[in-house]
Amino acid sequence: MSLKHRAMSITGALLLAAGGVLAAAQPPPAPVRDTAAASAPASAAATNPAATTANPPSAPAPAPSAAAAAVPNAAGAAPNAPNAPGSASAAPPAPGDAQPTEFKSLDQEVQGLKKDVIDLNKDLFVLEEELLFPANTQVAVYVSMDVGTFFAVDSITLKIDNKEVKNYLYTAREADALLKGGVQQLYLGNLKVGKHELVAFFTGKGPIERDYKRGATLSFDKGVGAKYLELKITDHVAKHQPEFAIKDWE
Amino acid sequence: MMIGAALNASIAAAPSLIGKVAPDFVLKGLDGRNLRMSEYRGQVVLVNFWARWAGEAREEIPALDRINTTYERAGLVVLGVSVDEDLARAREFAGAMKVSYPILFDTGSDIGKDYLLQKMPVTILVDRSGVVRYANVGYKRGDERAYLDHIRELLRE
Repeated sequence: MSLKHRAMSITGALLLAAGGVLAAAQPPPAPVRDTAAASAPASAAATNPAATTANPPSAPAPAPSAAAAAVPNAAGAAPNAPNAPGSASAAPPAPGDAQPTEFKSLDQEVQGLKKDVIDLNKDLFVLEEELLFPANTQVAVYVSMDVGTFFAVDSITLKIDNKEVKNYLYTAREADALLKGGVQQLYLGNLKVGKHELVAFFTGKGPIERDYKRGATLSFDKGVGAKYLELKITDHVAKHQPEFAIKDWE
Repeated sequence: MMIGAALNASIAAAPSLIGKVAPDFVLKGLDGRNLRMSEYRGQVVLVNFWARWAGEAREEIPALDRINTTYERAGLVVLGVSVDEDLARAREFAGAMKVSYPILFDTGSDIGKDYLLQKMPVTILVDRSGVVRYANVGYKRGDERAYLDHIRELLRE
């Protein structure tokens, strides 16, 4: 957690610096340009269903929006700075020609800084995961859903070696993201080398809107190295029933 | 002045929540749907934790319903969260109240710990960026005026 907090504080410091750079040489109407930057991550999240369900990709999301918020405020803090020379001279239109290119390069610089911040945040997130869940003990469980005509997921309960490790309730948006092809990281934890048993209980609405609860079990060997398991929900067209399986990714 | 006094009172009641990101939760609603708090990021959210046995909550819920019907279109989201242990009776009570906002049921999650719930009801206001800006523990007639002052302020942001 400390690494994550450090990442966030570094992120904040860089963004403030970026805002300061822009404030120093930017005229008041600048926020118009930054609304595009602010809306970009939001639209990306909307079009990428995995972003709404998988935890890791969603982590850096606040950074760009915070950046977008910081920049207009900073720009507004020094509105008179560029006007001062103009008011003193008799021919004000002259600086207008030079300004757009200068703003463009500043904008590129700020965008570059934002990208660096996002990359840094991502790297720190990965580093934190590697420290908390070392590769030789790591076990990750993912959820995927194919078609979903015969099953609307409501919750998944996960047990490893008869101990409940996760109980996840799905909102309509999350279930929709799974149906659109999103893959969710449901659980990330540590396990010792040896034999283990994973049991997953799926609850939701089955065919003809009936309450449906099914389980799936997998016994697996945890060797040296990370273990990846996938809970697969698929439709069995011939039986008109959903199917639940656990796949062990070697 | 009134807002300042109310804010001080709320700080004394819930010192470590105000100014922090509201703990996320996902709970099942009266209609069977699951709702996640963080999915309302971008809107002003009023969360009211209540229990059937708390008499003040019975008075507060109709007032919150009026606030919801007035400010829903302006971007306010009201969520009622029952922390009753007896789920069946809580559902019955919530159904009888016939409120216009979603009622959710906490069945054994850590939400009580996350939100430092020691007394019922507790009402918190979360701004568009997901930060807790106001918290009120208990309820007495007229508290809704402080809620409205804060709601209007947060909706303007």
